[in-house]
Amino acid sequence: MTSGTITDGPALRDPHTPDSRLGHGADYLHAEHTLRSWFFTTDHKRIALLYLASITAFFVIGAVTAGLVRLALVVPDGQVFTNDTYNKLFTIHGVVMVWFFLIPSIPATFGNFLIPLMIGARDLAFPKLNLASWYVFMTGALFTLASVVLGGVDTGWTFYTPLSTAFSNTWVVPALIGVTIVGFSSILTGLNFVVTIHTMRAPGMTWFRLPIFVWTHYATSLIFLLATPVITVALILLIAERAFHIGVFDPAYGGDPVLFQHLFWFYSHPAVYIMVLPGMGVISEIVPAFAQKKLFGYKFVAYAAIGLASVTFFVWGHHMFVNGQSDFASVAFSVLSFAVAVPSAVKVYNWTATIHKGSLKLDTPMLYAMGYIGLFVLGGLTGLYLATLAINQHVHATYFVVAHFHYIMVGGTVLAFLGGLHFWWPKITGRMYNEAWGRISAFLIFIGFNVTFFPQFILGYLGMPRRYHVYPPEFQFLNILSSAGSTILAVGYIFPMVYLVYSIWFGKRAPANPWDARGLEWTVASPPPAHNFLTEPQAPKIPYDYPIQARETGRQHS
Amino acid sequence: MSAGATETQVGVKLVSHFATVEQQKRAAVLGMWAWLLTELLLFAGLFLTALILRLLHPEAIQEAARHLKFWIGAVNTVVLIGSSLTMSGAIQLSRLGWQRGMVRFMLATAALGTLFLVLKGYEYYADYHEHMMPFLSDRPYELKDSPPSRLFVNLYYVATSLHGLHLLTGITILLVMTWQASRPGFLSQHQNRIEIFGLYWHFIDLIWILAFPTLYVLNR
Ligand code: HEM
Ligand SMILES: [Cu+2]
Repeated sequence: MTSGTITDGPALRDPHTPDSRLGHGADYLHAEHTLRSWFFTTDHKRIALLYLASITAFFVIGAVTAGLVRLALVVPDGQVFTNDTYNKLFTIHGVVMVWFFLIPSIPATFGNFLIPLMIGARDLAFPKLNLASWYVFMTGALFTLASVVLGGVDTGWTFYTPLSTAFSNTWVVPALIGVTIVGFSSILTGLNFVVTIHTMRAPGMTWFRLPIFVWTHYATSLIFLLATPVITVALILLIAERAFHIGVFDPAYGGDPVLFQHLFWFYSHPAVYIMVLPGMGVISEIVPAFAQKKLFGYKFVAYAAIGLASVTFFVWGHHMFVNGQSDFASVAFSVLSFAVAVPSAVKVYNWTATIHKGSLKLDTPMLYAMGYIGLFVLGGLTGLYLATLAINQHVHATYFVVAHFHYIMVGGTVLAFLGGLHFWWPKITGRMYNEAWGRISAFLIFIGFNVTFFPQFILGYLGMPRRYHVYPPEFQFLNILSSAGSTILAVGYIFPMVYLVYSIWFGKRAPANPWDARGLEWTVASPPPAHNFLTEPQAPKIPYDYPIQARETGRQHS
Repeated sequence: MSAGATETQVGVKLVSHFATVEQQKRAAVLGMWAWLLTELLLFAGLFLTALILRLLHPEAIQEAARHLKFWIGAVNTVVLIGSSLTMSGAIQLSRLGWQRGMVRFMLATAALGTLFLVLKGYEYYADYHEHMMPFLSDRPYELKDSPPSRLFVNLYYVATSLHGLHLLTGITILLVMTWQASRPGFLSQHQNRIEIFGLYWHFIDLIWILAFPTLYVLNR
């Protein structure tokens, strides 16, 4: 396959003056103009943009509440907000970030946009279902948002019983109904991806020619299908108990409060990999493109995705070490949790090996990718601390945990999301952004992130519990440091929102393949035509056919 | 072929984003199976908890299970199996292109599904009279000193009403589809919709066949 095939036509056309001569070849952004054509579209690329706009809005809400939480923690005596307000704020933050940003983020935007393009299909298998899942998502998310704003919820995003069933006097039930509805949207998206990847690959696109991005989305979709129904049932039971006293968790009804934790974490630990795996897919596309080198150990990276998706179902008990489960269970879950590190490490080694002796270009997407690798390693290593039974006793429910999951989830998802956004932005919009601003934003986010969350490891280790807003004065310095870091981080997030939006109108026009990258999506115009391919796509003979081959093939040159 | 049966052409219309009809059909079948997998998992948690409860507290659960209306459950099992038969008939006739007969079988399926819901409703009503609803404070639960039995009965209500909800959805879709399928030309364009829906219907039946022994029969 030759690189950088620039198809003429839509790519070189000014988006302001749609060219009537192009007819059916018009790019997907300009194929139709009415509002209707956006809100009732079945084009996977337009649906991806609907998601992009929605999850960006949710991210802003989540970030503002995070800022307020950090503001409250600047002083130790908890005078900024009342106890009640503080609880509601961190609940909004957690609920919005996890359920409405992190989980849908990469699959619903880039997955939707890229999977058909990458496998050479004209659309997902069920385009109407795809649109429906966006509506389901918005219905659920807005429902929950309305309830956390109008009535408030103070249970945290985990909705633990018995607080959520018996004691909290906030709007738990409406919030739960919304989250349950959003779960169906995940299931529908996962289902659509699985069927598409199985049945819609272009001729010649065998499983081992698929980009890793597609592999990780396949693994993610399996988790969506296998885990989401369990959380659905858990939430339905919660609603039944709270609203109708059909008790399953409350001991007064003969129920078992720990049962909720089992059901909850059976979903929510795999959900971490719903957040992390797609990010790994993004990084596996960016790294070879900016090293101009074949992805090291392609098959291992693909298997590692499936491996992670499988092991992740057997570790949920590491969230319950201190709640009285049997010692045998704790040891088993501890050992299994260590096992998760193996496929994760495989990925990190393969990226590093790919970078090694490549011809590195440190453009914005690559800076994000390298930041991602760093944060993911630190988050992963501290995960091993948490999986160690003795250490867990000490740091359980402290800021150590908060720092750990931010390194994994924000490091692992948000940085990959931003890296992917910069990588595919020219493809999606047909415009280039300002590279200098992009690099500055990547640096700011990396620095701001570490200043915000590294002190929290220390705070947690020293014993500051999570979810409290009154703390001993000796913790104040580290808390101020963390809050200051979050300001830098906020600036880092605002930058892309400004220069990316600016580029839509004023950016340079993007060629079909600005990074000299491989993969079918780079063979079509930027932005792609409405039906993806004007001619029958040709699957590449090998994936990641970059000029520099990894050492394993023995064809090394530069 | 009996007299009066009119055959129509049978087939599937290619939707533009698929390359072949075969691919389109494969996608539809795989999609439905993936959905059914999630449905199975939705119920699996409930059934598993009920089974574990039986193992942990055999006497208490036996006591509670004895209050369930075994005969209604059994008759309902037969009714649902019957509806699966009529649905299979509808699918068979759709393959042959016998539109009129197919529509009749679909209506029969919907009728049997409705019969199930009516019987289930009567069963709930009888439960209500016998103080078998632990969540009603105005009708104190019959076995109130036995927490495991309350938990079991609660699970019974969640599982059966979730199943009932699925059946209600199924009947609604079936009726809409029957209405569409009675129009001329349906079978030449959308025959596989009948097959795909058939999978869903058989599955609701299967869930009940799992629910019945788990809730009503085991160590009775
Ligand atoms: C803008 C930077 C951010 C700051 C300053 C921040 C700050 C915080 C703080 C202080 C807490 C602890 C609340 C407590 O337990 O007392 C928290 C919890 C949490 N954060 Fe963040 N956060 C940020 C970004 C994010 C992002 C981007 C995500 C997800 C993508 C996220 C996900 C979560 C989750 C899931 C919790 C747990 C909430 C709970 O304990 O119920 N955070 N965050
Ligand atoms: Cu976990």
